[in-house]
Formats: sequence, C-alpha cells, structure tokens
Amino acid sequence: MKFEARLFLYLTPFFIVVGVIYGFWSSWEAVGSVGLLLVGGLVGMVGAYLALVARRIDPRPEDDAFGEIEQGAGEQGVFSPGSWWPIVIGGASAVCFAGMAVGWWLFYIGAAVAVIGLVGWIFEFSRGQHAH
Amino acid sequence: MSVGTIVWLASELMFFAGLFAMYFTIRSTVPEIWAEETAKLNLTFAAVNTTILVLSSITCQMGVWAAERFQPARTGGLLQFTRWGMNEWMTMTFVMGAIFIGGQVFEYAELVEHGLTIASSPYGSVFYLTTGFHGLHVIGGLIAFLFLLGRSFAAKRFGHHEATTAIVTSYYWHFVDVVWIALFAAIYLIR
Repeated sequence: MKFEARLFLYLTPFFIVVGVIYGFWSSWEAVGSVGLLLVGGLVGMVGAYLALVARRIDPRPEDDAFGEIEQGAGEQGVFSPGSWWPIVIGGASAVCFAGMAVGWWLFYIGAAVAVIGLVGWIFEFSRGQHAH
Repeated sequence: MSVGTIVWLASELMFFAGLFAMYFTIRSTVPEIWAEETAKLNLTFAAVNTTILVLSSITCQMGVWAAERFQPARTGGLLQFTRWGMNEWMTMTFVMGAIFIGGQVFEYAELVEHGLTIASSPYGSVFYLTTGFHGLHVIGGLIAFLFLLGRSFAAKRFGHHEATTAIVTSYYWHFVDVVWIALFAAIYLIR
C-alpha cells in the first residue's frame, strides 16, 4: 500500500510550493492561493490515510512485484450484494428539485420519501434476513 | 468504506476551500466593513462553543475505541465513564454537538439583534455562509450519530459492520471539527 500512499503524498509538497509561488506572484490573491494550498491538503489527506493503513496492515500480494494472483485468495471483506435504496433516494431528490420549480408542497413530499429511503438504505443490512 | 469516506472528505475540503477563498476575497475588497462589523462578534462565547466542539471530538474518539473493542454498552454504572461503551460515548458526543448548534443559533440571534443579517452587508453574507454551511455539516454529523446508534441498537451482535460505521462517522466528525478550528481562527482570531 506504500505505493498508493506515495502517489498522493509526493504531490503535497508540489502543490504547497506552487501555492506559495502563486501567492507571491499574485500578491496573495485569495481564491487561487487558498485553493492551491488546500489542494495540497486534499492529496495530503488521502496520502496520509493510505500511509497509516499501509503501516497497520501486512504487505498485500499486489505490493509484491513477483506476487501471484492466487496469493490474494480468501476473504476479501464485506460488500453489499446490491441495493435498490439509492434509486429511492435519487428519485426523491429529483422530486425535491422539481418541487423548487413547481411549488414547495412537492418538495415536502420528496423530502419525506428521501427520509424513508435513507433509513431503508442505512438499516438494510441490520434487519430482515440480514439481521445479525 | 473507510477509503471512500476519506476521498469524499478530501473533496469536502475543496468545498470549504471555496468558502474560505470567498471570505478572504471579500475581506480584501472591502476591509473597512470588517473593521466595523467584527466588533459585534462575541469572542468569549464563540471560544467556549469551540471548546465544546473540540472536546466532542475526544468523546467521539473514545467511542471509536469502544467500537474497536466491539463493546456497544457500558459495563459499569452510568457515571463510571471509564467503563462506557460506544453507545454512551457517541450519545455524549451527540449532546455536545447539539449544544454547539444551540450556541450557534443563540449567537446568530444575538448578531441579528445587533443588525447583522445575511443581507445587511458583505460581511454578514460571508459570515453566515461560512459558519452556516459548517453548521449544516455539524447537523449532518448529528444525524449520522443517530443512524450509528440505530445500527448499534439494531444489532444483536456488535460486529465489524457497526464498528466500521462508528469509525467513518468519527472521520467525518473530526474533519468537521478541524474545519471549525480553521474557520474560528479566520473569523474570530484574525478578524
């Protein structure tokens, strides 16, 4: 995982240096200076997180240049097999946006459906046949 | 799930970058309004409110450690906080976050009374937009804590599913907390 971390971390000093150069050149114009420096923060955040994970876990087969595919066999983690709830939330959001154009009464209907969708999605793997 | 949360939070950082850029641009365009309007801010009150939010990050992290031990409920009395489980710590975090929001509402009410509204001046607009969007994020975090507690109570066996939810919710909460520290410094300390 070290490679993934470096991919992001190496960009952090670049954006900070570019941000400082830009800042001096533009006599600290706010939009670009803040933007560029925080892009450094953006890649730094992802990179630092990956570096922390890399330190916590053992090297994976894909970190080994001579790794074989079968070395990655076994449990891969817990993944959702699929869910219809995002469509409910998407449809409800569309109704909400239509409500802003048509009238607020429609917005509230969409918001109510969105709440149902959100609760359904979040508790999908905590209830019914998935109750654990 | 954790990687996705981090990538999304990195994009949230750029959202707040836009807000900060807006704040500083308008500040450099009309500095005389800043001199006049920032005098209305109540630094002591905001500092106390900030402290509550920062402390809530600590209680949140205690909750995460409890979740990583797969301990949802306390093993001792209600006041023995050293034996609290995730539910108790996250409820505490929720209460502190709610106090922060209550403080923000109180502060807004006081500022409106002093004539600072979102439409009253450029300063009012950027003040309410930056702190308001942050406040909405805190409210989103409060809702996330409710869902986290819901998942925890719905589970007969508290496992990785619940612990991961606690961890990613804490990432979000810490992020919102750090953004507030930066906002607090920009709005109340630098002025």
